[in-house]
This record gives sequence, structure tokens and C-alpha cells, in this order.
Amino acid sequence: MGVLPDTMSGAWILSGIDFLLSFVFISFIGVILYFFPHLNSLGEIKEKKR
Amino acid sequence: MDNLFVTLLGQLLNQTGLMSISLGNIIMIIVGAILLYLGIVKKYEPFLLVGIGLSCIVANVPGSELTKEGGLFYIAYQGVEKLILPPLIFLGVGAMTDFGPMIANPSLVILGAAAHLGIFVALIGAKVFGFTLAEACSIGIIGGADGPMAIYTTMKLAPHLLPQISVAAYSYMALMPLIQPPVMKLLTNKKERQIMMKQPRYVSRLEKIVFPVVIAIIVNLFLPPVAPLITMLMLGNLMRECLCVDRLAETASNALLNVVTMVLTVAIGSTMAADTFLTADTLIIIALGLVAFVFGTGSGVLCAKLMNKITGGKINPLIGSAGIASVPIAARVSHLVGQQENKNNFLIMHAMGPNLAGVFGTAISGGIMLALLGG
Repeated sequence: MGVLPDTMSGAWILSGIDFLLSFVFISFIGVILYFFPHLNSLGEIKEKKR
Repeated sequence: MDNLFVTLLGQLLNQTGLMSISLGNIIMIIVGAILLYLGIVKKYEPFLLVGIGLSCIVANVPGSELTKEGGLFYIAYQGVEKLILPPLIFLGVGAMTDFGPMIANPSLVILGAAAHLGIFVALIGAKVFGFTLAEACSIGIIGGADGPMAIYTTMKLAPHLLPQISVAAYSYMALMPLIQPPVMKLLTNKKERQIMMKQPRYVSRLEKIVFPVVIAIIVNLFLPPVAPLITMLMLGNLMRECLCVDRLAETASNALLNVVTMVLTVAIGSTMAADTFLTADTLIIIALGLVAFVFGTGSGVLCAKLMNKITGGKINPLIGSAGIASVPIAARVSHLVGQQENKNNFLIMHAMGPNLAGVFGTAISGGIMLALLGG
């Protein structure tokens, strides 16, 4: 077990941190995806038919 | 001679499981039969429930050798215990998933986190019922609606709860078309459900190839506890998108995924023996799983409603519930509920963005739990 106490307050702290960090991480992925269209200025990959 | 005949018959009878079958075994055999009924007749995730149902029945027949040490189902379970099967499932899922809808609309990825409030409601609820924090986290992750991730987290934190958690996770995923719509309708009005969204932009091949590489780097860098799962998901996706290893992508998404699904389902079902499964804890876990799904659906819809207000009515709140993961079932539910109000509204592609983000949302939540609890 890590540093979190195995108590009700431990559960609240873990939930709070986890929910908040989930937003932070997923927003980070979202921010990176905002820049993805710029990749297209690097060139184009010819697609063969599947 | 007559006595010898009776003695031999008695010995034969003792060799069978008939003499040691218990009421619990009979109840679990009925549970297995119900799972088979749901899979075969009701078509609720038959690919999962057929294997789970039959192996649950077999695990509760006392004479069966399959679930004992050295038996085939026991060996299948080693694939779960050693955490080999969940990453292989993710490899197959990655090879069959187009992440284009998520790449096309980055603002919607936030719904992948918002729809996971249920995880934490169930976590707190489990703690109230006296579970340890590690057990409570495993129970909470049911609300992530992601079977392999639920198995992975549970095997790291509370392996003794695997049967209950995996059965709850997969059963509720199968029942999402029944669980989600009432919550979605309760939290939205007719006008909101009729909103038609703008067509997502075209996503190029280059973007689709770069995506799995970037995500694999981010996850390995920031969330090492769940990196094996997400890395395999991204490997499968890269195989799909690079277009030069079609045979591998095809194998991963079909043959391999089917084989792993077979092994995984019998492994899960074989753990549903009466003596470990028929407990009060099981009922609590199954109830908390439902709570998690309901709250996750609700929080996703409410976040989408907020985004709809901020964007001036451009987002249909129904897509919020898809952020719960369970690809593509939750996206399909959003689409079908939307179509009940407007037959020309095709929400599926819009809902796939949050739905795919939900996979990452669950992985992030699970990864943080494992990091904080030292799983």
C-alpha cells in the first residue's frame, strides 16, 4: 500500500486526486490533438485502397 | 454377489460429483444458465456471455476436472492471473478501432474524463461498506466500463475479487442499452436531444499513424502502471493505420482477438465457484457496479450539457454518456437515443470521439489508482 491511509478520508482523497488528474491528463491529450492538423503540412501519405 | 454389485455401484457413485453437489452449486449453475440465456436468446454480448456462462456451470459441477489445478480452464485463468490476456485483448481492439473521430474533435475528449464520476461514487460506496481501499478501487473501476482494464486493475489490487468484478463489468457493459437511456432522458430535454452536430473534419493517414506513437509515449512517460495495456492498444492501432502490415492487423483484430476472448471468458467463468462467489460482498459489488454506471452516464451527460451551453448549442448532450468507454456500445446507445427524437440525426461518429476518449479516461483513472496504491 502506498502513502494513502486505508480509511474513508483516504478514499475521498484518492477519489479527488484521481478525478482531478483524469481531467488534467485527458485535457493534455486534447491539447496535443489540437495540433494534429499541423502534421498535414509535413506531407501526405498516399493511401492504397483497403 | 449382490452385495459386491451394490458396493461397486456405491463406489462409482462416490467417484461422481453427485454426492458433493451443494445448494450453492445449484444456484451458480442457474446463474450460468441465465448468463447463457442473456447471451444466446437476448443477444447481450454473446461473445462474452456464452463462454462465461458455460464455464460458470462447469465450475460448479463438483466432479469437473477442468477448473482444478492442471485443468484447461485453470490454465486459461493463468493468462488472466499473469496479466497476459488483457493486453492481448487491447492489441486486438486497437487493430479494429479507428481513432479518427477522437482526433477530429479534441474538445470532446474531456467527456472521457467527465463520464467517470461513477468510478469514484462506487469507490466511496465500497469504502462505506467496509472494503479496503485497494478493493474499493477495484470495485470503482467497474464504472470505467472497460473489461480488460477492470481485470488488470483488479488483478493488481484485489485479485480475490476478480470473479465478481469481471462479471459485473461485462454484464453491465452488455446491459448498457437498458441502463443508460433512462438516465440520458432524465437529464436532457427533447430540444437538446434533437441537436444536430457539425460533420467532423477529415483526419489524414499521417495523423492516424502519429496518434498511436504519441499516445504510447505519453502513457509510458506519465502512467507506467497501465502502460502495458495502452501500449498494446496503440501497437494494434499502428498496425491498422500504417497499412503495410495488413496481415498482422487482420490477425490481431480477428483470429487473435477471438482466441483470446475464448480463453478469457472461460477463465472468468471458471472463477465463479459457489464457495467464493455466493457471498454478501458479491451482491454489494454488483449493486455498486450499477451505481457506477448510472453516475458515469449522468456525469457525462451533464458535462456535455455544460459544453453545449458554452458553445451556444452546438453539442448534443447525449454524446456525453458515451464517455463512459465500453466501445462502441455506449456510442451506439447515444446514437439510438438521438434517433428516437430525430431520425435524421446520426450521432454515432460524434459519440465515438468521447467513447474512445473514455478508454483513455479509464486507463488514466486506473493508472493513478495503481500509482497511488503501489499496485
